[in-house]
Amino acid sequence: MKTKILALSLLAVMTFALTACAQTDVVANTAVKSFETVLNTDASKVTRSADGYVLTSPNTTESFSFGKNIAITFELAPFIEAGLDVTKLPSNINADGDNLVISMENKDYSKETTANKTFEKLVKNNRDAVGYHAALDHYGVALGNGNMFEWAKDIATNDKDIVFVLDPQAFIDMGVDVENVEGWLFAKVETMDNGKKVEVDKLLKPYNIK
Amino acid sequence: MRETFKVMGMTCAACASRIEKVVGKMDVVTSVSVNLATEKMTVETDQSKASIDDIIKTVEKAGYKAEALATQGSKTLKIIGMTCAACASRIEKAVGKIDGVISVSVNLTTERLTCELDGSKTNMSAVRQAVEKAGYKWAEVAGKNTVDDDKLRKEKEIKTLWTKFIVAAVFTVPLLYIAMGHMIPGVKFPIPSIIEPMNYPLNFALVQIFLTIPIMIAGYKFYTVGFRALWLRSPNMDSLIAIGTSAAVIYSIYATYKITQGHFMFAESLYFETAGVIITLILLGKSLEAVSKGKTSDAIKKLMGLAPKTAIVIKNGVEIETPIAEVMVDDIILVKPGSKIPVDGVVVEGNTAIDEAMLTGESMPIDKKPGDKVFAASINKNGLIKFKATKIGSDTALAQIIKLVEDAQSSKAPIAQIADIVSGYFVPIVFIIAVLAFGGWILAGHDFIFALTIFISVLVIACPCALGLATPTAIMVGTGKGAENGILIKGGEALETTHKIKTIVFDKTGTITEGKPEVTDIVTVNGIDRQRLLQLVASAEKGSEHPLGEAIVRGAEKENLSMLPVSGFEALTGRGIRVTIDGAEVLAGNLKLMHEQGISIDNLEADAHHLAGGGKTPMYIAVDRKISGIIAVADVVKESSARAIKRLNEMGIEVAMITGDNKRTAEAIAKQVGITRVLSEVLPQDKSNEVKKLQAEGKKVAMVGDGINDAPALAQADIGIAIGSGTDVAMESADIVLMHSDLMDVPTAIQLSKSTIRNIKQNLFWAFAYNVAGIPVAAGVLYLLGGPLLNPVFAAAAMSLSSVSVLTNALRLKRFKAYK
Repeated sequence: MKTKILALSLLAVMTFALTACAQTDVVANTAVKSFETVLNTDASKVTRSADGYVLTSPNTTESFSFGKNIAITFELAPFIEAGLDVTKLPSNINADGDNLVISMENKDYSKETTANKTFEKLVKNNRDAVGYHAALDHYGVALGNGNMFEWAKDIATNDKDIVFVLDPQAFIDMGVDVENVEGWLFAKVETMDNGKKVEVDKLLKPYNIK
Repeated sequence: MRETFKVMGMTCAACASRIEKVVGKMDVVTSVSVNLATEKMTVETDQSKASIDDIIKTVEKAGYKAEALATQGSKTLKIIGMTCAACASRIEKAVGKIDGVISVSVNLTTERLTCELDGSKTNMSAVRQAVEKAGYKWAEVAGKNTVDDDKLRKEKEIKTLWTKFIVAAVFTVPLLYIAMGHMIPGVKFPIPSIIEPMNYPLNFALVQIFLTIPIMIAGYKFYTVGFRALWLRSPNMDSLIAIGTSAAVIYSIYATYKITQGHFMFAESLYFETAGVIITLILLGKSLEAVSKGKTSDAIKKLMGLAPKTAIVIKNGVEIETPIAEVMVDDIILVKPGSKIPVDGVVVEGNTAIDEAMLTGESMPIDKKPGDKVFAASINKNGLIKFKATKIGSDTALAQIIKLVEDAQSSKAPIAQIADIVSGYFVPIVFIIAVLAFGGWILAGHDFIFALTIFISVLVIACPCALGLATPTAIMVGTGKGAENGILIKGGEALETTHKIKTIVFDKTGTITEGKPEVTDIVTVNGIDRQRLLQLVASAEKGSEHPLGEAIVRGAEKENLSMLPVSGFEALTGRGIRVTIDGAEVLAGNLKLMHEQGISIDNLEADAHHLAGGGKTPMYIAVDRKISGIIAVADVVKESSARAIKRLNEMGIEVAMITGDNKRTAEAIAKQVGITRVLSEVLPQDKSNEVKKLQAEGKKVAMVGDGINDAPALAQADIGIAIGSGTDVAMESADIVLMHSDLMDVPTAIQLSKSTIRNIKQNLFWAFAYNVAGIPVAAGVLYLLGGPLLNPVFAAAAMSLSSVSVLTNALRLKRFKAYK
C-alpha cells in the first residue's frame, strides 16, 4: 500500500512538474512561430521604433506595436464620423493625433535584436495575455477590456491573416454607431469563457497580408 | 467419476459458458457445469484422477485458473518452494516412506500434496515434518469444513476491489472536474489557468493522461483478462470494457498528439474521463457485486461455522488438543460440558444430554449413554463424555449436509438454460452491434467522434454479468435459506420442479403420524381402577417387542406406575398374552382371544367399535376371566399435520394420503388431518405405482415419506420429500430432505421454491430487458428519433447497476419466512 501511495504521489508531482514545463506550452510556442511567419510575409511592414517594433496593416491605417508597450493604433476619423465623442474616451483608449491607441505595458520588457525575439519575449512575459481563438484558428494578444490583436495560426489557409479587434461597448458608450464605422465590421464572434463557448459582439478589421 | 474445481478469473456468464465449452470438448469429460456465482466447476469424467491435471490445464488455456477441490477422504497440503518436477517427486518419496501413508501425490502445477493415511499409524503432523525435512515449506489448504480460508479469500477480494475503486475514484473526481466541469451549464467551475484547455491544451491533455494512468492501473484486470479472452477468441465482459475504454484512451492519445502538432481544437476531443469514469463505475459495481455475492453464501458459511476447530483426543491416557483435520477414525475424544462434538462417533464413557437441533431440529436435548451415537457440531449440554470417532472430515453428517447444500448451490436449474445459451453468443454479438453502429453512423454522415461515442456506449452498456448471475444467485440464496430452515433442497432442478407441484402424496406412518403408537384411551368395567388396569397390562407386556406392548409400557412409565412381578407368561400367537400377576390371571389381546376364552365383551362392544372407527387399536383385558376393560393404542397424528395440509389446500395443492392400513383406519386418520383422497391398503412395493397413476393424470406429484420404505415412491415422484434427520438414508433417495419432523416444512419448501423461481424470473426479465433496451439506446436509436445520445459514462453506470440490481433482488429472498 505504501508503495502504491508513493507511486501515486510521484505521479502527481510529475504531473505538475511537466505541466509547468515551457515545452508543454504549445500555444505559446506555436503563437511565436506563426507570428514569425506573419512578420516574414512582408518585411517592409515591420519597422523598428524607439521602444520596439511595429507591424503595420497593408493599407497603413492600423498598426500593432510590441516593444515597451503592446498597442494597437487605428484611425480616429471613421469613429468620429460614426458619432464618437472624444471627450468621453476612457483611460485605456488615447487619442494620438489622427489615431486612437489602445495599449498596455509589456512586462519585463528588454530590448532585443530582432522583432521575432522581441515578440517571443513578449509572449513569455505576458503569457496570460496570449491565447488561441479556436473559432478563427487565430492567436491573439489581449490588450484588456476585450480589445485584441489577432493573427492566423496558418496564414496559408486563413484569409484573415491579421485582425484588429475592438470591444464595441466602449465605443457605443462614447456615442459611436458601431454598425456604421467605415472599414470596421461589427459582428458576433464565438469565443471561450472559462472553457465554455460564448458569442460576443466585436468590431473587427481583418487583413489578408499575402 | 465426479470432480469439483474452484475456478478463478471469471467475470461474467460468457466466461462460464466458455469454460464449459472448452472443458466439454475434452474426450474424458462426459459432462461439465460451471456456476458463476459459486465459482465452481463440476466435471464428470470417464477416467481416473489422472485427468484432473488435464482439466486444470484446459481451463488455464482458456484464460482462467482452476484448482481441484480436495477429494473425499484425502488430506491436502499446499507445498511451497517447488521449482520443478524433481521437487514433486522428492516430496512424494519422502512422504511415501512414512509408515501409514497409503498414497501420496504431489501436483507441481497446483502446488498441492494429496495423501491418504492410515490413521492408526500416522497423522498429518508426520507428513508435514517429512515435507519440511525434504526442504520445502507447507501451508494448510481450506478443507470442506474450514470456512476461514474461503472467508479470508472473499474478504481479501472485496478489500482489493474496494481499494481499487477508491484509488480509481480519487483520480476520477479531479479528472471529471477538469474535463467536464466547465461544460456544466449555469455553473462556473474554475480550473487553474495552467491547464485551461484553450490556452494550455497540451497541459490540459497531459494532466488528464496522468490522472487516467492510475485509474487504468486500478482496472488493469479488465485489460489483462479482457484482451486475453479476446486473443483466445472467447470475449467476455472484460473484453467489452477493455475495448470500449481503450478506444476512448487511444483516440484521446491521438488527440493529444494532434495538440502537440498545433491542432488545439483536439483539446475538445479528449475522452480520458470517459475511460476513467467507466472503469471507476465498473469497479464500484464489482465491489458491490462481491459484497452481495458473499451474502448469498451466508447460509453455507453458517453451516460450516458450526463445526469446532479442535478436538481433545486421548492418546495413551493424555489429553491432546488436536486440530480437527488430524482427528482419525477410532480416536477416543473427550467432550466437556458446553463443548461441541467435533466429529461423529459412539459414546464409550459417561452420560449426558446433547442438543442436536442443528441436525434434527429437535429443541429438547437428547440423553446419551454409552453405545449411543453423537454427531459433529451438536452441543454437549451437561455431562463429560468420551466417544470413539467413527466418521471424520467429509464423512460426518454435518459435512454431508454441507456438501448437499453446496452441490445444490452449484447446480443449475433448467430455467437457467436460456441465459446460458444467450451468454455464449452475447459478447460477440454486442461487439458486432457496436461495430455496425459505428459504421452506420459514419455512413450516415456523422463525424468520427459521434460514431466513437456510440461504439463505446454499446460496448460498455451491454451486461452479460446480469444474465449470468440471474439464476445462480437466486438458487444460492434460495437453497441457503432452505438449509437455514432445515429444508435441504438437492439442486436447481428440484427447486424448480417443486414450484410446479399440483398433488402431494403423504405417507401415513411416521409422516402424518408420529410413527410411534401411544395409549390414547382406557375404558374400564366391572369396578377396576384405570391406573390399576394400565399397571397390570404394562407389567404383562414388559419386555415385549410388539409395538402395541411397547406403547402400553411407555404409557405406564409416563404415569410413573411401577411394574408388578409377573409369572406364567404365555404368548398366544396372533391373539395376545396370558400372565399371572399377584395370583390373578390376566388376559390381554384382541377380540379373537376373548372369544376363544369364552369371555363376554358385550358391554364393551360399542366402545371398541367407536375406538376402531377413530383409527385406534383396542386391546381387551380380562382379569380372572372377567372382562375388565379396553386399552386403545394409536399412532397419533403429528401436531403440525393438520395445519400443513390446510396450508397446502390453501395453496391450491391436492393432498392425498397413502398407507398400508385398512380403509377404515386410514380414513379415520385422513379425516383428522383434513385429507379427502385416501389411498389405503397399499403395499410398500405398490406405492410407486399409485404415484405413477397420479402422474398419469397429468399432474406434477410430490411424495412425502420417511425415506426408507417409501424409497421407490420417492424416486418415482417428480419430487421426493424425505422426512428425517441428516443421518438418515433418506438424504440419498429424496430431492428434498426435511431435517425437522415438522410437516409445515412441506408448504414452506413449496413456497420457497415458488419465491425462488419468481425471483429468478424477475432477475432474468430485468437482465434481458436491460440489455434489450440498453443496447439500442446506446446505439443511438433514441437520437435517431430526435432524442438524446447516451453518454458512455451513463452507459457504464447503468451496466454496473444492472448486476447490482440482480444481486440485490436475489438477496431479497433472505427475507423469506418459513411457515410456522
